[in-house]
Order: sequence, then structure tokens, then C-alpha cells
Amino acid sequence: MIHRIHNRFRPIAEWSPRGKKLISLLLLCSVIALIYRSNFRNWVPLGPQRVVETINPKMGVHTRLTDEPEAAKIKRSLEMVREMGAPWIVEYFPWAYYEPRPGQYEWSHPDLVINHANRQGLTVIARLGFVPEWARPPDSHHLYLPAENYEAFGRFAAAFARRYQGKVRYLIVWNEPNLSLEWGFRPVDPEAYVEMLQVVYPMVKAADQEMLVLAGALAPTLDPPNSEWGMNDLVYLQRMYDAGAANYFDILAIHAYGWGFDAGEPAGESVVNFRRSELLRDIMVRNGDGDKTAMITEGGWNDHPRWTKAVYPAQRIRNSLQAYEIARAEWPWLESINLWVFRFPWDQKSYQDYYTFVSADFEPKSIYLEIQMYAKGLYASFE
Amino acid sequence: MQERGSWRVGMDPSFPPFETLDAQGAPIGYDVDLARAIASQWGLEVEIISIGFDSLLDALLVYRVDAVISAFPFNARMTKDVHYSSSYFEAGVRLVVDADAAFEDMDDLTGRSIAVEWGSRGDAVARRLQRAGAAFERLTFQSPQEAIDALVSGDSDALLIDGVTLRLAQGEGKPIRPVGPALDSDPYVIAVPIDAPALQEALHEVLEKLQQDGQLDILNARWFGQQPQ
Repeated sequence: MIHRIHNRFRPIAEWSPRGKKLISLLLLCSVIALIYRSNFRNWVPLGPQRVVETINPKMGVHTRLTDEPEAAKIKRSLEMVREMGAPWIVEYFPWAYYEPRPGQYEWSHPDLVINHANRQGLTVIARLGFVPEWARPPDSHHLYLPAENYEAFGRFAAAFARRYQGKVRYLIVWNEPNLSLEWGFRPVDPEAYVEMLQVVYPMVKAADQEMLVLAGALAPTLDPPNSEWGMNDLVYLQRMYDAGAANYFDILAIHAYGWGFDAGEPAGESVVNFRRSELLRDIMVRNGDGDKTAMITEGGWNDHPRWTKAVYPAQRIRNSLQAYEIARAEWPWLESINLWVFRFPWDQKSYQDYYTFVSADFEPKSIYLEIQMYAKGLYASFE
Repeated sequence: MQERGSWRVGMDPSFPPFETLDAQGAPIGYDVDLARAIASQWGLEVEIISIGFDSLLDALLVYRVDAVISAFPFNARMTKDVHYSSSYFEAGVRLVVDADAAFEDMDDLTGRSIAVEWGSRGDAVARRLQRAGAAFERLTFQSPQEAIDALVSGDSDALLIDGVTLRLAQGEGKPIRPVGPALDSDPYVIAVPIDAPALQEALHEVLEKLQQDGQLDILNARWFGQQPQ
């Protein structure tokens, strides 16, 4: 018996040439199958080209697909944005995720997001930030970018622009640089941010002349002078202009949160509300930049039952609808308004869950359904 | 804890009647009394540590507190990092009817009306049920109080509302009662460190004892008022 088994499994060297070829072919097929499976298991068809139907072409939302790995869920999120009637999305593309080593790019996730967004008829505004470890000092915060690496950031932004030429037309350079938290826990520095723009802007333009660069995206805040936490956004924007920012961005990105105020509440320098956007616009005009447009790339209201800056759910719906309508009817200088945040891949179990429009499992919240009705023209009044 | 003689409990005292501050700035509420009731079973004092709601879990993870009791919702994603007790309060959406009404479930409300606060979780549940084929009229109101008043006045046949608002309304004497289980469960639990099995076991036992002794019912009545019979 043992003798027979030994005969059946002879050493490879004794196999016939035909047997060796057969085994080699089988191994090759297995390798190809494994590669195919690893590359395409997270694949869903893009589907037919779709168009967003809406009465308000400025409507948008900030999606948060950065941490959503599943292609099917990315597609579903973007389908639901289209079905809500919003033609714009802002999405965050962290530099550290896509260039983990200098010059080595991994585009599979942004490919998924951008290709599906395009197929749903959505215009993507890409926000870039999050410094990879190799581009910052050891043990520093991931939002700390030393000036000597502005060029490295610019190379990434340019590579992004080249890869998505014709698919993405808008890039936001950094996020809320007027907060210490977002500036790597350093004192905020508008002049240094302008230096970043002066490096990154021409590199992006050289990669894709059609790409439009958004700057600012300032956090609305009333921080007093010399606050360790941040700088008043109105002061920061003026200092950006004083430092020569005007030639290094095409569109101003604005964050417009309403906190406890109604959307129609008048703007005031000592108030953080939705119409504070008008004060930022005034600064643009005062600095001779009135021909440029602006985009609200974050904003909205929260209806958490115990967060101090939240409103009731009914107020959140009414204010959000009114904000879209103000953007459409009153602000010709505003190209789009993207409210925070469409969906998280999982419940945050914090006040952040009460900014969303659909739940993690895609159940539409009432605000989603009401905005959908608005986009279909089924709202007669906003009183 | 035994060496220190105290149980450090993290909470955000901004959510009455579960936790708030009295005129002297001392924490009071259902959760404060619950923490004291548990600690007394162990012969310990309670040390309440005030922390913002969104930082409570972080405080637990770095052992700044021994437990979190703060109308704290169960989070399945965190079960690899912290241990949760069984639920001591269901804050999820309930179907609520008049105390004297004969309705016992959604099927009894076919062709009837259900009040909701516009945009609330109850509203989302109502819309979900309608999408699934439930045949009732959804009546929307600007506030939970208006929705409750509609039920009490007979302008609606039922109400979909969260468990906290329900109990507060009952405590104010509104003659209403929940029927069936929560339609969108949101249990409040106590969180303790994942690597404290003795504490987890002791917590499990003491909560069972407080339940069996009727002490949880006493706490509920103290902070929300009596439930209608």
C-alpha cells in the first residue's frame, strides 16, 4: 500500500514534461484568479450615466466616504445624494491615505468615489489635507505641515489634479486653517497659509489649467485676539488678502453653520450664524476680489437632543431648506452650498450623528425626504 | 476602587432629569442616584466627575473614570473597547396611545392617525412604517409637546415618541401609555472598562438586585413622576 502511494506521488523532477506544463498552467490560473479577486471583489458596476433633477442647481452636501471602504455603499450614498436632488458634493481626500510613501500613489479609493460620483451626475469638490508621516516631524500631529514640505503637498495636489483631469474641477487646499487644531496645534498663521497657497496653486495649475482652487474654508469663530484656539475668520481672511492671497485662489470656500440661529437671522460681526457668509463676501469685495465666486463647503444645523448648539428637528429642516433657498435666490456670488454631512459609515454615537441626512444603514431621515420634496419643487413657502 | 474607597463615575450633567446641577452646583438626577445606589451596595462612595458627553468614553478608556453613567446609549462598535451593562432605561421610539384606548399594536391603527414631532426619530419611524405598507395618517407637529397634546385631546389616535419624552409626559400627568416594544431601540447602559471582569460581574449582579428590589422603579418614579396605572 505504502509502496503504491509512493509511486503515485513521484518527485517533481521525475514528472513528464506534459505533467509539468499542466501543473504550471494550473498554478498560473490560480495566481490570475487571486489577483482578479483581490482587485475586483470590491467592485460594483457604475451603471448608466445619471442626471440630477432639481429646482435648485446650487444644492449640495458634504459626503464622508473617506472611511467607507465598500464600493456598493459608496455607490448607494451617491445615488441617494442624486435622488435627494443635490448636484454637488464635497468629499475629503486625505493625502496620507493616497501617498503613503513619497511618490507612491494609491488611487483605488478616490477612483471609486469620483467615478461613481461622476456617473450619478454629481460635481465633486475635492478637499485635500492630512499630512503623511513622511512629510512631517516625528510624533507631530497629522495636520502639521512644515513650510519646507508645502512643495510635497503641492506635488500631491498636482498628481491628484492630473489623475482626475476632466472628472474633478474643484480642489480645496486645506481645511479651517484659522483653528489651531487644524493647523497642527500650532498658533494659527494666515501669512503661512498664504505661503502654502503660493506654492500649491501654481503646481495645480501647471498640472491642469482648468482646475479651480478653493481657499479659506475658515471655521466661523469669535475667538478673541491672541486666542490659543484660533483666529476670528473675518480677521483671518483680511490678513490672507493683506499677505497677497488674491492671486493664489479662484474661489473662496466658506463654512456656514447656523448654530442656534434661524437661517434668515441677519449677519453680525459678533454672531456666528448662516448669514455670516455675507461678511466674508464683503471682505472679498472690499479687497477687489468681487469678481470671484464663493462656495459653502460645510454648514448647516444640528438636532442633537442634548448638544448646546443644536436646534429642534423641525427647526433644522426649516433652516436647511431656507439656507438652500437663500443661496439660490439671494446670493448670485455663491456657486454651491454643501451642507454637513450626508452620512457616516457608522454611527458616531455623538452629536455628529445629528448632522446626517441618512443613517449609516441608509434609512432616510425626515430632513432628507423634506429636502427631496423641495428639490422637486413641492414646497410653496418657507415660512 | 476598594483601596480608594470611591467609585469614580463620569457623566455630563446637562441632561435632566438624568443628570443636571442643582442651585449649589452639585450633580443631581436619576443617574446620580443610580450611581449612589450601586456604590452603596459595594460599600463605596461615589465620586462624580463632570465630563463633556462626547469625551466620556475617552475618559473611560484612559481610566480617568471607573464607569460612565450618563444616559449613555449602547454602541455596538465600541464593544471591543468597553463593557456595557444591561439596559436600565429604554429611550427608543415607542408607539403611545391614550391610557384608556383599546389599541395594542400598529395593526390596530390601520386607517387611524399617528402624531409625530416633525423631523424627529418618531417621524422617521412613522415614514419607515408607511413605506413598509402601514396604512395610517401621519400628523406632524413642530414640537413633541404639541404632538402629545394632539393625542391627549383626541386629535390623533396615537403617537410615536422617544422613551424619555414619554416618561416626562406621563410624569406630568398625561394619561398616555406605550404599547409594544420600542420600534427603534436606544437603550441607556453603564459603560465600564473592558479589562475589569470583576467589576462587570459585580455590576451585573447589583443591577439585577436593584431591579428585583424595585429600587429602579423607585428611581424612575422619583425623577420622572408616577406612571399612570
